[in-house]
Parts: sequence; structure tokens; C-alpha cells
Amino acid sequence: MIGGAVPQQGKLVAGGASAMLASAARLAVLLAVLLIIVQALIVVQARPQDLITGIHGMADIIRRATPPDFSHIDDTFWPALETIDIAIFGTIAGIIMALPLAVLAAANVTPSRPFYYAARGLIGFTRSVPDLVWALFFVTAVGLGPFPGGLALAVHSIGMLGRLFAETIEHMDMAPIDALALTGARRLQIFTHGVVPSVLPSLLGISLYRLDENIRSSLVLGFVGAGGIGFQLLTAMNLFQYREVSLLLIVTFVIVLGAERLSAALRQKLA
Amino acid sequence: MLEVRGLSHRYPNGTEALAEFDVSVRAGELVIVLGGNGSGKTTLLRCIARALDPAAGAVRVNGTDLTRLSGEKLRRARLDLAVISQHAALVRRRSVLANVATGALGRHATLWTALGGLPAGELEAAHRHLAEVGLDHLARQRAGTLSGGQAQRVAIARALAQHPRVLLADEPVASLDPEAAEDIMRLLRRLAAEEHLAVLCVLHQVELAYRYADRVVGIRAGRVAFDLPCAEVSREAVHRLYLSEAA
Repeated sequence: MIGGAVPQQGKLVAGGASAMLASAARLAVLLAVLLIIVQALIVVQARPQDLITGIHGMADIIRRATPPDFSHIDDTFWPALETIDIAIFGTIAGIIMALPLAVLAAANVTPSRPFYYAARGLIGFTRSVPDLVWALFFVTAVGLGPFPGGLALAVHSIGMLGRLFAETIEHMDMAPIDALALTGARRLQIFTHGVVPSVLPSLLGISLYRLDENIRSSLVLGFVGAGGIGFQLLTAMNLFQYREVSLLLIVTFVIVLGAERLSAALRQKLA
Repeated sequence: MLEVRGLSHRYPNGTEALAEFDVSVRAGELVIVLGGNGSGKTTLLRCIARALDPAAGAVRVNGTDLTRLSGEKLRRARLDLAVISQHAALVRRRSVLANVATGALGRHATLWTALGGLPAGELEAAHRHLAEVGLDHLARQRAGTLSGGQAQRVAIARALAQHPRVLLADEPVASLDPEAAEDIMRLLRRLAAEEHLAVLCVLHQVELAYRYADRVVGIRAGRVAFDLPCAEVSREAVHRLYLSEAA
């Protein structure tokens, strides 16, 4: 009994030490999180009191923005259509360019490693540059209007869609693909008859989600001259036409909500 | 029809999976391979189909040695060799008919089939193959909705669409209930006899092997333990295959 008690005591001592270590680690994590929050508050120069002193200014803008000026509703149709079409163009062009890149960037179907790394690099680059920067770039290149907006969304979508498409292809069940290869089917036939039908619903779901995102992005792109309702919103704000601004915000809200609902409904059908 | 001589394979970790393995299957013959887990059964079929590259040996289908082929020549040679795996490996979102017709893709080098179209002539043939496995009434159904036994029958119909001379079946009844397993084995037996296919089938179910095989090959540690007509295989010899697994 006594002989057995000694190692048990040893275990208790070791157990107590590991519990203390765990507590110390938890405390260190908590301190690190607090440190991150405090440095963020300092860097952004957070001054909550300014919100209280600025409440009069905000109330003044809201007063001047109400009621919305519905007499301009006819003028919003074309920019609204332009906004939606920028997103449609950007999404479709993005899909067309992202799909072949995704095939090259999917480890399980890529024809060779150099293609894989080149495709991954291009996808990473187009994704890491924000769409607003792409819009500024294309406005400089092709001038003001909806076209640079569409191009900006297309290039940024390559990155977002390419990565998600590649991940979908990588996670698909390879058994049907291997089975087709063993029948003597050619590479392209294996791709069109095996890979495409297996991943198509997922790719369509991702594309619809991207369209929804692009509609929201295309509203902002107008602020840098890339057309659509954002451009009209910026103009109205610069001219202090706050009642028109509130009308445009209502139209924006309807577009975003409509796109979100439509995209969600279509994705549910595909599931 | 199928002749395997001195087939050897070693995994990258050094494990010897197959060693000097010999087996042959004539047209119209159903040969069943029995062996414990890890004895090399699946590796044998994968090496024959060239899904794995054997380290040594020859795999002759109608006299052509597959181990010496690569690229387009290997693809063409594969047309004579159909493989059925444990899980039917169908494209779940396509129809049963389309899945069967894809078995014939290797014989069609058209732009239409490269773009995802099915060769028109093969659809009629696919209906015939489905009728052969008793599932023509499910032709328009999605493959993902089938039961395990039905899916395996569709996989066999897809193999028939390939017009093979040799059929390799890797545990085709492993995930099926006893009734469905009997159905599949009866079908393989009938196809061997009526279509003059050389069928090499890996199984775990000893009783099915006794009922349906013309010959039984025992495999132990990647080597041939015995290769005998079904009637000459003793229960003790089979028992020893699985004893070595337990040891």
C-alpha cells in the first residue's frame, strides 16, 4: 500500500504543476487579447465623447434628408440598372476567367506543378488587391463610366471565385473520376463528363453568392467614378442634395435586399 | 485472355505488397481471389489495371503487355479492361443512362463528347446494357438516388458499355446485403459465360467464392498461396489464408 502511495503522490505533484501551467497559459492569452484591443483603441484614436458632441450634426443631416425626394425616382432607374449590370458583367467575366484558372490551381486535376503554382499565384494576386483599387486602375486606363467598374469586379472576382472553385474541385469525390480514367476515356472527356457534373451545382452556388457580393461592391465603385448608383450618390452628396441622397439609399437598400433574396433562393434550389 | 506473370509491387514505405504473382483467366472463366486484409488483393487489381505501376512482371491482355505501355497506347489498351470497384463510383448527379454511356467514351474521339455530349449511338446500347443488368426502367433516374445494389449493377452496365474482354471486380459486394450480393455474383457468373468475359474478382465472402467461382486463387502476403479449381479448394486451405492475417 505504502509502496503504491509514493508514485500516486508523485502524480499529484505533477498534476498540480501542469494545472498551474495551464492557468498561467490562460492568463497569458487573456492579457494578449486585452493588449490587442487596447492598441487598436489607441491606433484608431477612439473618442466616444465625439459621438455625443456630434449628435447635433447627425440630427441636422437626417432632418435635411427627410422626407426622401421621390420626384427624382425616374432618374434612379438607369443608374440602378447600370449598377446591377456592372455586377452581372463582372461576375460572368470573372467566372469565364476563374474557371480555367481553378482547374489549373486544383491539386487533384492540375496537369503539372508549374501550372498549379502559376495559377495559385495569379488567383492570390487578383484577390489581394481590393476591387476599389482595381476600379481606380481601370478608370485611369479606360476612363469614367460603368465599364471600368465591370472590369474591376471581373478581375477581383477571378481571385475570389478561382480560390473557391479550386477548393470545390479539390474536395470532390475522386472515385468517379478514377473510374472514368480506367475506362480509357480521354483527359478532356474525364473533365467534362466526370469533374464538371460533379462540381457544377457547387460552382453555380458560389457564382450566385459572388453576384450578390458584386452588386454590393458595384454600389461603392461609383464613388471612384466607375458608374452606377454610387456615382449618383456621390454627386448628390457633393451638392448637399440630402433628400435625393436618402432616395438613392432607399433604392440601394431595395437592390441589395432583392439580390440577396434572389441569390439565396436560387442557391437553395441548387442544393 | 488475361495473363499475369511475376507481378511485384512495393509501396514507398518499403512494404512488399505483391511478390512474383502469377494468375491467368481464360475467356468465359470467373476466377475469384481470396485473402485476408492487407494480403495484396486490391493492389493486384490496381497493378493489373495500371492504376499502380508494378515494379516488375507482365500483365498481358490478349497478348499485349500493359506494363510496357504508356500514354495513348495505354489508354487504348485499357478499352479491353473494365474495372468495377467496391463502391460503384458513379457520377451521382448524372442520370443512370448517362453514367452507363460514359463507359463507351474511350472509343469516341469527337468534339461533341469532349464538350460533355454523349454519343447518340451509345445511348441505345446503354439501354441494352441496363436491360442486361435488369435496370432499364431506372434509365432516367439520377445515379445518386440508387441503392447500393442498384448502383453496383449500373457500374457493371457501364463496364459492359466499354466492350471489354477482361472484367476486374474489386470486392463488388462488400457493402451489399446478402440478397444483393448474390444477385451481383449471379450476374458476373452469367456475363462471364454469355459475353465470354474473363472475370477476375476479389472477394472476402468465402461462401460466394465456393458457389460462383470456376477457380479460386488464394493470396497471402502478396504471394500465390494456391490456385485451384473451385471443387479442389479445401476449407482448411482457405482458413489458413485468414489465420496468417490474425498472426
